[in-house]
Amino acid sequence: MIIVNHLHKDFGDQQILVDVNEHIKEGEKVVIVGPSGSGKSTFLRCLNLLERPTSGEILFEGVDITKTNNINKIRQHMGMVFQNFNLFNNLNIMDNITLAPIRLNLMSKDEAKENALALLKRVNLQDKADAYPAQLSGGQKQRIAIVRSLAMNPKVMLFDEPTSALDPEMVGEVLDVIKELADSGMTMVIVTHEMGFAREVGTRVLFMDGGNVMEQNTPAEFFANPQCQRLQDFLSKVL
Amino acid sequence: MFDDLKAKFILDFVEKDRWMYITSGLKTTLIVTMFALLLGLFLGLLIAVIRTVHDQLKEEQLHGVGGFVLKIANILCKIYLTVIRGTPTLVQLLLIYFVFLVSCKSKVLVAVIAFGVNSGAYVAEIFRSGIMSIDKGQMEAGRSLGLPYGDTMMKVVMPQAIKNCLPALVNEMITLLKETSICGYIGLNELTRGGDIIRGVTFDALLPLLVVAAIYLAMVMFITWLMSKLERRLRESDNR
Repeated sequence: MIIVNHLHKDFGDQQILVDVNEHIKEGEKVVIVGPSGSGKSTFLRCLNLLERPTSGEILFEGVDITKTNNINKIRQHMGMVFQNFNLFNNLNIMDNITLAPIRLNLMSKDEAKENALALLKRVNLQDKADAYPAQLSGGQKQRIAIVRSLAMNPKVMLFDEPTSALDPEMVGEVLDVIKELADSGMTMVIVTHEMGFAREVGTRVLFMDGGNVMEQNTPAEFFANPQCQRLQDFLSKVL
Repeated sequence: MFDDLKAKFILDFVEKDRWMYITSGLKTTLIVTMFALLLGLFLGLLIAVIRTVHDQLKEEQLHGVGGFVLKIANILCKIYLTVIRGTPTLVQLLLIYFVFLVSCKSKVLVAVIAFGVNSGAYVAEIFRSGIMSIDKGQMEAGRSLGLPYGDTMMKVVMPQAIKNCLPALVNEMITLLKETSICGYIGLNELTRGGDIIRGVTFDALLPLLVVAAIYLAMVMFITWLMSKLERRLRESDNR
């Protein structure tokens, strides 16, 4: 579904991503872990071109998104959830969810609203449709942000540290939603620091360090039998 | 004392319908302010958007004809901002009246253009600071959903930006209203000059100028009151 070839990204003279090659297949739940500054967020943000790669190609369903001139069309199929939620502060929850589907003529107003309500029900927030983001807790905001992405019927969901900005007691409710989404068969790429979650949800875990994927494996093997020294050190610190 | 004041009041305003200097002056002041404000808001918004789009795009995205046009537009905007903010409004007004629009018969139009062009520069920077005050995550969230840059700007960033810069915009509006008092220099009979004409005829400075000052004050207080009401309504989404 997503094929990354020789991806490089520099910020100034600093190399953030160095020749990353990856193939993400449909239905996979790829979890990316690694120390801060290892390039995992940048890698994720390259996948929907929020960061423009310095070189290399990224194929989404066969189309090189670094060369396409209609990135908006492609982004409609790639949901993204941010660390800081980024709900539209000037819009209520219903409008947050329906803005894109209505503006992009994917649904009629009524359809979009109906769809939004159904999705809100799924995350148990149907009574918040008229609330504004500032009135919600972090966990609620993140669940809404996930719903907002889902309202576009994406083919893949990208999660950029979805629980890092949350109070510890709210992490669970957000992870539950993501887990449920994973069980429904959604293709996902998740950058996270939650190792337990990575083990439980991932079908494949990548370890990034120094702008490259150092090691990858199934979750069970990844955590039980880390090969490279760097990963062993990392796991000994976080587990 | 009271009789003296009353006599002066009659002399200044009632006799020969001199109050009309004030009312017709007020009308001119309001017309100039209103249209200059509209022109300023339009110019300011346009320039703020050009400057922001230019600054937000990375160097590699500024290619092709569009990128070239944007670069030129950005340079023109910068020159405009520098010149307008770097020279006195009165000098600009005189230059436009006596040099650039010397063939223009309508002094009101000259004033509207002068003040609109002047205000535009300040409004542009106010809007720009408003846009920059919005977290870039808002734009990223919109773009990640597939919304084009313009849509995200219009529906998400701008409404928040305008709300944030409303106090500064009101400030600019008040400044503009009061600054139109220099229109007398091109012989346009606005409010201040209306009072001044009465002073010249009756040789009483106190009452005409006090009345003029009071009218400005009342208008400014009205604008402030109106905007605080608007601001409260716009803050709806911030209520916790």
